[in-house]
Amino acid sequence: MYPIFTIVHRTRRSFLSLGRTALHWCKWTFRRRAWFILPALFLVSACEGRQSVLDPSGADARRLYDLALVLFVGAAVLWLLVGGLFVYVTRINPRAMSRRAAEALIIGGGVIFPVVLLGGLLIYSLPLMSAQRSAPDGMRIHVTAEQWWWRVEYELPDGSRVTSANELRLPVGQRTGLVLNAQNVIHALWIPALGGKADMIPGRETYLSFLPEKVGIFRGQCAEFCGASHALMAFEAVTMTPDAFAEWLDAQAKDALVPETPAAIRGAEVFAREGCGACHTVRGTPATGLVGPDLTHVGGRVSLGAGILGVTIDDFANWLGHTDALKPEVDMPTYDFLSQDDLIALAAYLEGLK
Amino acid sequence: MKRVLLTIVALGVLAGLAGATVVGFGLYNVSARQGHWPGVTWVLHTTYKQSVRLRSPAASEIPDDLADPDRVALGALHFKDACSFCHAVPGQEQTATAQSLNPGPPHVVEAVSRWEPQQMFWIVREGVKMSGMPYWPARERDDEVWSVVAYLEAVRDLTAQDQAALTGTNPGPASCSACHGENGRSTNSYVPRLDILTPEYIGEALEHYRNGTRRSGIMQQVALGMEDETIDRLAGRFGTDVGATRLETSPQDKETAGYVLANQGTKDVPACSSCHGSNRTADAPISPALAGQSRGFLITQLKLWRDGKRNDGKRAEQMRKAAQDLTDEQIKILAEWYAGQ
Repeated sequence: MYPIFTIVHRTRRSFLSLGRTALHWCKWTFRRRAWFILPALFLVSACEGRQSVLDPSGADARRLYDLALVLFVGAAVLWLLVGGLFVYVTRINPRAMSRRAAEALIIGGGVIFPVVLLGGLLIYSLPLMSAQRSAPDGMRIHVTAEQWWWRVEYELPDGSRVTSANELRLPVGQRTGLVLNAQNVIHALWIPALGGKADMIPGRETYLSFLPEKVGIFRGQCAEFCGASHALMAFEAVTMTPDAFAEWLDAQAKDALVPETPAAIRGAEVFAREGCGACHTVRGTPATGLVGPDLTHVGGRVSLGAGILGVTIDDFANWLGHTDALKPEVDMPTYDFLSQDDLIALAAYLEGLK
Repeated sequence: MKRVLLTIVALGVLAGLAGATVVGFGLYNVSARQGHWPGVTWVLHTTYKQSVRLRSPAASEIPDDLADPDRVALGALHFKDACSFCHAVPGQEQTATAQSLNPGPPHVVEAVSRWEPQQMFWIVREGVKMSGMPYWPARERDDEVWSVVAYLEAVRDLTAQDQAALTGTNPGPASCSACHGENGRSTNSYVPRLDILTPEYIGEALEHYRNGTRRSGIMQQVALGMEDETIDRLAGRFGTDVGATRLETSPQDKETAGYVLANQGTKDVPACSSCHGSNRTADAPISPALAGQSRGFLITQLKLWRDGKRNDGKRAEQMRKAAQDLTDEQIKILAEWYAGQ
């Protein structure tokens, strides 16, 4: 067994050599690699956009952004302090400290400083968690996560619900509450640009709220691995002025438009013949299925298939003919056996359900 | 040591040569009449018995409805069609040809005396190598194998009169109506009614049995040799168009669990009636009518769909996914409701 001082001595020596190496690498990097690092800064520009925590567009996201900023900047300052101290005691002033100074450093820097700092951060950040679940001053929306799509129900003041899917519309300037649930497995709802993230657990209600500040379209995503098509379980969150939102909700509450073009009329027949109504509801028609998304106003949404396609006739036809290729293991069967005419007609009918 | 090893190697090479000589020059007599050398029969038979005992499923796997008379009748009719050539039926002698097999197939009465139901299930399902006993042609159809076992269990106390009541006395192969009933109006719960199916659907089903896309040890036995004309003729003879309209005319109790499940579905189960019933608004028939269909048959088929064991027809994926979340209880409710219509 080595005498204790030998170990201490060796450790100190290895720290010294480590410090030298680190200093050398820094000098070398700044001289020779500067042109490598500068372009990397441009990558930061990718942080803005409709699915970014670094580009907050809601009060809750802004709070989280501020918290992150405080933590990151604080961490950087701490890192510099500790690093500076390390360089100081190993390179600049490698003499033995007095016992008093060493004890002051250990107790002050190792106990008091972290307790005060972490305590302060805790007091600052804890209320942010409950703020993410503030009570709504606007409406409540019930969101149920399915495999792999979102059932969305807007609760009206009289308690009745307007059903939609795969899209969240929120009025700007109001705090909207989201009552979350899941049908089969655990999912999580996250709209990075608008606020926090919450698990969606079968048989247990969870809650989250948003106060959007800007009109826009933001992307949400399931943030808990939930099966084969987890990565394809997204949605669009559309923030609107309160007036536009009220108008939109009124339209959503109405029954589906009656098809008018010859293609759409034929599409409605195909829809009925193929039994689509077993799984899908189109209000105002015999289709009252509950297994899949409500299609009453599917043509008026900004995306199809839970955020993976647009809503043109081509998109609908593509989806109907290739469900399993576009979304592996999805419950919706493929309708590749329909004639091209039937398929396009069906797509035209759905696209017309504005 | 080296000498010992060399001796072993030399003996091994000699034994191999001797074996190759016997095989290559045809020295072993494969004559069934000749039989086996003394002791060999005992070794083979013990191997067979022990192998069946080791591999057969647990007694808890035996279905509850094994004694159901309809199930026994279905098993009896298929047994007569496919198995009685070798094993005969109660009250009947084995043919001279069957008696000349080696190993000899036991008479059915003798055969069932030695085995538990789950062991008979294994033998009927898997067959026995080098014995002439075939395996069940449709791997997916354990339900059919159990129906044969249901009959074999009943054979224990079956008289010649009972047997005649089950399968008739006609020596030839069973006709369609022997199982499916007069004019296809089956009264056996395990056998589908044909009179509520359309000719197109029956034709397609026979075609699928014939080419193997729809699996059934019982129906493939019947359909394999059918000519196109036979299929057309049978489809036309048994199929009708009354099935689709039946649901609308029968009184419905809208409070029953069966009605609700069949016509409204749940968040996991689509409504059956969207494709199979009166909810259908366009007229093109895409799926069989179910009202009045046999209960046991519906239960079997729904389980096959749910478990991914049925995959025939261009809308197979639709039906498989529609059935994938059904519970046993829901299947029973649906089958009972549709059978009662």
